[in-house]
Amino acid sequence: MIPDFEYAAFVWSSYLVFALVMTWQVVQPMLRRRRIKKQLLEQFEEQQAARLMQNRNSQNQNFRENRI
Amino acid sequence: MSHQDEQVWVIWKTLKRWFHMLGSPPTFSRFARTVSPWLWAAFAICLVYGIYLALYVVPPDYQQSDTSRIMYIHVPSAWQAMLIYVIMAVLASIALIWRIRMTEIMAMSCAPIGAAFTLICLVTGSIWGRPMWGTWWEWDARLTSMLVLLFIYIGIMALYAAFDDRRKAARIASVLVLAGAVNIPIIHFSVEWWTTLHQGQTIRLLGESSLHSSMMPPLLWLTVAIKFMFGAALLDRSRNELLEQDQSKQWVQRELEGQFDARQQTRAADHA
Repeated sequence: MIPDFEYAAFVWSSYLVFALVMTWQVVQPMLRRRRIKKQLLEQFEEQQAARLMQNRNSQNQNFRENRI
Repeated sequence: MSHQDEQVWVIWKTLKRWFHMLGSPPTFSRFARTVSPWLWAAFAICLVYGIYLALYVVPPDYQQSDTSRIMYIHVPSAWQAMLIYVIMAVLASIALIWRIRMTEIMAMSCAPIGAAFTLICLVTGSIWGRPMWGTWWEWDARLTSMLVLLFIYIGIMALYAAFDDRRKAARIASVLVLAGAVNIPIIHFSVEWWTTLHQGQTIRLLGESSLHSSMMPPLLWLTVAIKFMFGAALLDRSRNELLEQDQSKQWVQRELEGQFDARQQTRAADHA
């Protein structure tokens, strides 16, 4: 049995509004989480890089001190 | 203490322990991450079945014809808009009295979801009103108090966004939440206190409903669907807010470490 769904525009427009708002409710938290995670991962990478640089600098300094 | 009292005491203590555990950000984040996909799935199933019943199975109303199908999304949205406000007011009270940060965050995350349901209620009501009442809008008590609810939700969101200090913002907005709670009984009893164009209460939890029994299943399925959706959206939004506020904290970095490693490996593979 195939439904004909010949309802007036009033019915369809109501369901369309409902669908749009529901979709936004689903999508908005996903987009925000993606943005936050991207931002956090970049920060995390910067921190890791800074830590690596610091380690390398201290190693170089130790090496120089040993040579002297 | 009787056996029944003992059981009630155990349940109460368990709930209290759960409540305190969820007050911890890492525990809440883990809980939200685990539970929310299931709630979204339950929402999708109930929504699809509810809409199938509403648009296909239920016969048209003998007076309103197919326009009555708007009711299946209008009524659950209206109920949810008011319920969310009550939940938000309870959370805001807890936040103001006990200063629990998670309740502040959850109360503030309720506002955009509540505003969305209020908007659906107002728009679908207006679309229904045009063929049934012959007007898009009427300044009657029920419609006006619902519009006030939308403005209160927007006001809470604006107030929360107006301060850089999130905790201060949440506390100030919580005061507005409590002040605005007076509107909820006004919405509920508006059809009894004033002569309104909006119809009176047709569905009762206690007592006989005047709605035909064939119209109940889609209404119930969509009501349940919307409850699941609220739960999922609230958990997701609260977790997002928490991650943003706690981005410098160690638990967030620990949570992201796995993803960071995966990203590093992908980059290394791309480089190679």
